[in-house]
Amino acid sequence: MRVVRVVVAVAVLSLLGLLVWDLAHGNGPGVAQKVDKGKVVAAPALNLPRLDADGHLSLAALRGKVVVVNFWESYCVPCKQEARGVAATARAWKDKGVVFVGVNAFDTKSAARAYLKRYGVDYANIRDGVGTTFGRWGVTGVPETFFVDRRGRVVPPHITGPASRAALEQGIRQALRS
Amino acid sequence: MRLLAAAAAALALAAPAGACTTHASQGSLETRLVCPSCHTTLDESDSEVAREMKAEVARRIAACQTESQILDAMVAEFGPTILSTPRTHGFDLLAWVLPLGGAALGAAALAVGARTWTRNRGDTGGPAAPAALGPEDERRVDEALARFDG
Repeated sequence: MRVVRVVVAVAVLSLLGLLVWDLAHGNGPGVAQKVDKGKVVAAPALNLPRLDADGHLSLAALRGKVVVVNFWESYCVPCKQEARGVAATARAWKDKGVVFVGVNAFDTKSAARAYLKRYGVDYANIRDGVGTTFGRWGVTGVPETFFVDRRGRVVPPHITGPASRAALEQGIRQALRS
Repeated sequence: MRLLAAAAAALALAAPAGACTTHASQGSLETRLVCPSCHTTLDESDSEVAREMKAEVARRIAACQTESQILDAMVAEFGPTILSTPRTHGFDLLAWVLPLGGAALGAAALAVGARTWTRNRGDTGGPAAPAALGPEDERRVDEALARFDG
């Protein structure tokens, strides 16, 4: 009988521990929702395998530069609409301390790579197969674009839908000033 | 000579079909993989990515890969959540063992609890056994029965 009590107590405590852990590590509202309210928040970690090269790319390694983070997938029509403009903006700001990082999700590698080639996307792209980072960033659809300042903080604006060059440049300038 | 030519032709025709020693099943694989954007199995999804994944599976089957190799490749590309059910080996085995183990533990706890409860109930007496009738009561019962019979 004592053994049963111990087993039940351990089971209950384990479940309680799991609940506490889940509450402590839950996503909560994503970055997007906070940035849309005008807040400046620490950028969630991004450390994923490269889609366009070997190895991994970590957002933390880009500290000291303004980073434009663009979430996309190859089947999305608005992504295709913005792709060439985003690539052109990335090239225009390349030597001015601004780095573009594409985050591809919900794609096969072959389709994603074909997209990069087709739209002339030559900035760094990483791959988040099933969108595991979407929750922390608060991404609810693609494309979405964020601006990370030199101190690793996400600053407004946050662009949902296809990003125009003007909107990208405004976001970059805001991040550079931050 | 004619026989040899016929045999060579038969072999040439049979070659494509017999190229793979094992044949992975497209249908089976489509039930074991999920569409990453809509989270239903591939056979139930008609999304763009599901269609691309089906085509990828078909390409790999044509390249003579086994089901296991194809699943491994998909897991390498998308991560383990691309599988509709966890695998039955390695760390994923826990996903099967833990619920079954939990159910077995629960059943054992219930059995032990029920046994203990029944035993404790026996110790406190439970419903009392009918006491034997005294001589006076027996006499009255006999009288009543005699009146009933009469």
